[in-house]
Formats: sequence, C-alpha cells, structure tokens
Amino acid sequence: MSDLSISFKNLSFQIEQACLLTEVTGAFAAGQIHAIVGQNGAGKSTLLRCLTKEWPATSGEILFNQRNLNSLNFAELALDRAVLSQHQEVAFAFSVEQLVNLGFEAQQTSWSEATKQALLNKVLDATDIQHLKKRDVLTLSGGEQKRAQLARVLAQIWPVDFESEQAFSGKWLFLDEWSEALDLKHQVHIGCLFRQLADKGLGVVMVSHDLNQVMQLTDTCTLLKAGRVLAQGVTQSVMTSENLTKALDISVQVVFEAQSHQAVVVLKPLKPLNSIKSTV
Amino acid sequence: MIGRVVILKLVLLAVILISLQAGSVSLELSELWTGLSAQQQLVLWELRLPRVLMAALVGAGLAVAGVALQALFRNPLAEPGLIGVSSSAALGAVLVIVLGGTLWGQVSAWQMSLAAFVLAMAMTVFLYLIATRRGKTDVALMLLAGVAINAIAGALTGLLITVSSDTELRSVVFWMMGSLANIAWQEVGIIAVVMVLSLIGLWRLIKPLNAFLLGEQACLHMGYAVQSLKWWIMGLSALMVAVAVALVGVIGFVGLVVPHMVRLWVGPDHKMVIPLSALGGAILLVLADLLARSLMHPAELPIGLLMALLGGPFFLMMLLKRRGLNA
Repeated sequence: MSDLSISFKNLSFQIEQACLLTEVTGAFAAGQIHAIVGQNGAGKSTLLRCLTKEWPATSGEILFNQRNLNSLNFAELALDRAVLSQHQEVAFAFSVEQLVNLGFEAQQTSWSEATKQALLNKVLDATDIQHLKKRDVLTLSGGEQKRAQLARVLAQIWPVDFESEQAFSGKWLFLDEWSEALDLKHQVHIGCLFRQLADKGLGVVMVSHDLNQVMQLTDTCTLLKAGRVLAQGVTQSVMTSENLTKALDISVQVVFEAQSHQAVVVLKPLKPLNSIKSTV
Repeated sequence: MIGRVVILKLVLLAVILISLQAGSVSLELSELWTGLSAQQQLVLWELRLPRVLMAALVGAGLAVAGVALQALFRNPLAEPGLIGVSSSAALGAVLVIVLGGTLWGQVSAWQMSLAAFVLAMAMTVFLYLIATRRGKTDVALMLLAGVAINAIAGALTGLLITVSSDTELRSVVFWMMGSLANIAWQEVGIIAVVMVLSLIGLWRLIKPLNAFLLGEQACLHMGYAVQSLKWWIMGLSALMVAVAVALVGVIGFVGLVVPHMVRLWVGPDHKMVIPLSALGGAILLVLADLLARSLMHPAELPIGLLMALLGGPFFLMMLLKRRGLNA
C-alpha cells in the first residue's frame, strides 16, 4: 500500500459478550471510493466507528495514513478526516451558512474574510445548497438537512488550494448511509462530487444499503456478514450474484444492462421471509 | 455584529446610572460635579454602587450559566433554577450557616460560596448522568429530575432551619430572602473575580461549544476534546450559580429568559450568545432590582420573587411554543 491509506488487521470489536466484528482485515487506498456492504447488524457501522476511532477496537491494529490510529488524537485526526454519522442532531436554530462555517472552524486556521467566503461558496455550490444559505437548518426537509450536514463535513477537510490537482491528497471522508434521505437527482449529483474529489486524492469510505449506488460509484467493496469479511476487493468482482445472495440472505441477481453498459443488481421474484411464511 | 454588544453595553450603563439615582435619599448624578453631601456620598459609595454592581454581576453570571447548561443538555429549557442547581447551591450555603455557625462561630461569604459550589457541581454531574444517555438528553427526565432535586434540596434546607439556633435562623432567613440589600464591597469583589475567570474560561471554549450543539459524536469528529469540555461546562456553570446563590440567594429564570431572547435575536452562535447574554442578564437584574426597590416604596420586594413573577409565565410560554412545534 502507498503511504496514504487506511489499513486494518485482525480487527475485532466486542461489546457485552457480543462479537460485532471478528478478525476483520483490509485496506482502503487514497483517491478511491470504498463501500462497506452487509445486512443489518453485519458490523458495517461498527467497522466505520472503529476506523474513525469513535469506538476503540477490542483487538487488532489500524493504520491511518501509515500512522497507528491509537497514537493520533481527535484534534489531529479532525484535520485529515471528516465523518458524517447516520443520524445528525441540530438542537438550536443554526442557519445553513453558520452550520457549514462550524466545519471550516474545525480546521483551526484563520483565513482572510475573502478566502472564507470563497471557500464557503464553493462548498455550498458543490452540495447545491447555495439557495438555502440563510435558512434555519431546523426548517429544512430531510434531504436538504442531509446536504447541509454533508457540506459541514466537507468544509472540515476542504483545502484552500482546492483547484490544484491533488488538493485532497491524504484527506478522508467517512459516510454512514449518506444518500438515504436524498432524492435521485441529488444522489447522482453528490455521487459525482465524491468521484471528482476522489480524483483529487480524497479517500471515501461509505456504508451503504443501495447496491446499485455501490455498483456504479465505488472502486472497492467490503462485504460483511455477521461481523466477518465475506468478500472484499474490486467492486465488480465482489458484487456477484452469489456473494450478494450469501451476504444479504435474499436472492439477488447481477445483470448486465446492455443500453447503459452497466451491471445492475435486481431482486429475484420476491418470496416472503421464512419466519413470516411459517406463521401464516 | 459587534454593534450589538456596544448597544447592550450602552443600555447597561444607562440602567446602572438610572438605578444609582433611585431611592429614598435624593441623588442626582449631576450633583457629582457640584459636590455631594456626606450623606449622599455614603449612600452612593457604600449602598447603591455595590448593590447595583452586585445585581449586574449576578445577572450576568446566572444568564451565562444558563447558556452553558443549555449547551451541555442541548436544550433551551435547562435553567439552573429549574433543574435544581440553584437549590443545591442554596442547600450548601445553608449547611455552612447552620453547621458552620456551631463549629466556627462566624461564617464568611467565601465559605458559603465554596459549600454552594461543591453541592451545585455534584448535582450538575448527577443530573447529567441520569438525564443523558449516549450523548442524548431526555428532556422530560431532565426537568423531572430537576423537580425531584428541588424537592429534596428544599426539604433538607427546611430540616436544617428547624434544627438551627435563633441566631443562625436569623441569618438563614435573612439570606433566603434573596436580597440585594446590604451588599459589601468584599462580596462584589468575590463575584467579580469569579465572573471574570468563568467568562474567560467559556470564551476559550466557544468553538467546541458550538460544535457540541451538533451532538457529541460530531463534536468529537470535529477534533474537540468532548470529555474535558463537559467537565468545564459543568464546573464553570456550577461555579457561577453557586457564588451568585451564596451571595444573594436563589434568583430564578434569568438563565432561561435571557439566553432565549438573545438566541431569537442573533441565533445560536456562542460567540454572540455569551457576551450578549452576560450583558442582557446584567441589564435584566439591574432593572428588576430597580423595580423591586421602587414598586412598593419604601418597602422592598424580594428580587427572587419578582423574577419568578416575570419568568414563570415566560417559561410557560416557551413550553406552549414547544407543544406547537411537536403537534
């Protein structure tokens, strides 16, 4: 692996006797988009939380850009990586602009007013919330709030020289189900944004339930089942009908859609879950 | 943005000047230049000025303590009086008056402040532990725990009073009236030192305080030391409340009304909310003291009573507004 990567070896996480992760090993390269996929309770969010140091792993080793994660404190980590959790909380009536500025403030640098404005506008445009700038976050729709939070998170790692070629080199973005509340247009729009930023060196790690999004957007995929890695590697080779059916406990098929030249995940004819069948 | 701070500073100066001139001994500030009589000088320097400054400092302290506790619980209803911090501080102060009276004879404002701080801090930590789980506050639990703590602290205070001797009883009752009368310069000094230190402490925490409003996880991932932040908030707010209570008794609702109005005015950014609440709290209490002194002149209303009359309906209004939001 190059210097800029996140790698983890024999990662386990236990809480109250329950093993949420067992001996998970893998590596994410910078400048790529990585997906973590699995059923509810497969350990996706747990893996994300361990990788962001939110939860300390019970055993195993995590290297963040070649440095041991345990040796880095949150203040140091915050400069290189931002995290969007599954649920966000806004307790008081911040405007969108103020919310995003909290992200910039976390960079702990002082810019000139002009630079600050330029950065703010760039991030607001990138997430398509420029028109909501003055609105109270609490009055926004779910999808708009999510974009505002995404903008806040991006602001935390947005470089001043964002135009330059490898501006995001060494920076990481961790996302837990970012697209859930977004409409289709913004899912695609934000997905394209992630790809642009990845081309500038940003590493993206996302937990997702949207298999077609994973198929089309991500470079690698880590398939988890019951806290263990079922398959991992290049997305197209991991996301096969067999692997997905095994990981998700439901029959799915990966078909090639000729018109768009894309692999698409479809459901096989729906059958009720076993437990329901037996009780009916 | 700084314009607003200047406006409130001018308003505060104006209400202080008005308040200095009010009272039974006539005293026009213009007379300062023509020369005050000996009696007027005594009234100004030994009675009115310490009293007005005390009102301003206590008001600022209670309002800023409200801001800090509201950030900790991420809820605008967290007010030192409502959630039991003030009554715990009062219990600490009475404990010193009654037990300390027996042990050492004379008790000082410092001893009362310290005991008030210890109990206020303990109660804040206790309340945080029971009302907040995994970084989320259960608002109903927070308010109900406050009711319980108020009841317990009130009962224990009453118990202490019944076992106290006559002289102790006199000082307890005197203190419990929540009065700004007979303020000594030494007491103004104590609260001034505490307020300056607490405000400096909170001023250094503005960025993490703002981030904390987004939730504990988000605050952590934005690079702030969440655990130490929580200890600082609890310690500084308990300190401000405790010293205010120890010196002038329980005055409620300042920490509820002022931060709420300020947030409606400028939004939740602590960079503005903290200085404006400090000024707003000072203005409110100087005005309330002025009212308390002049409404039923020559008798004096207890200022705690006056604030409850003003703040109670305000609290109800906030609750009704929340009901509207949830519906």
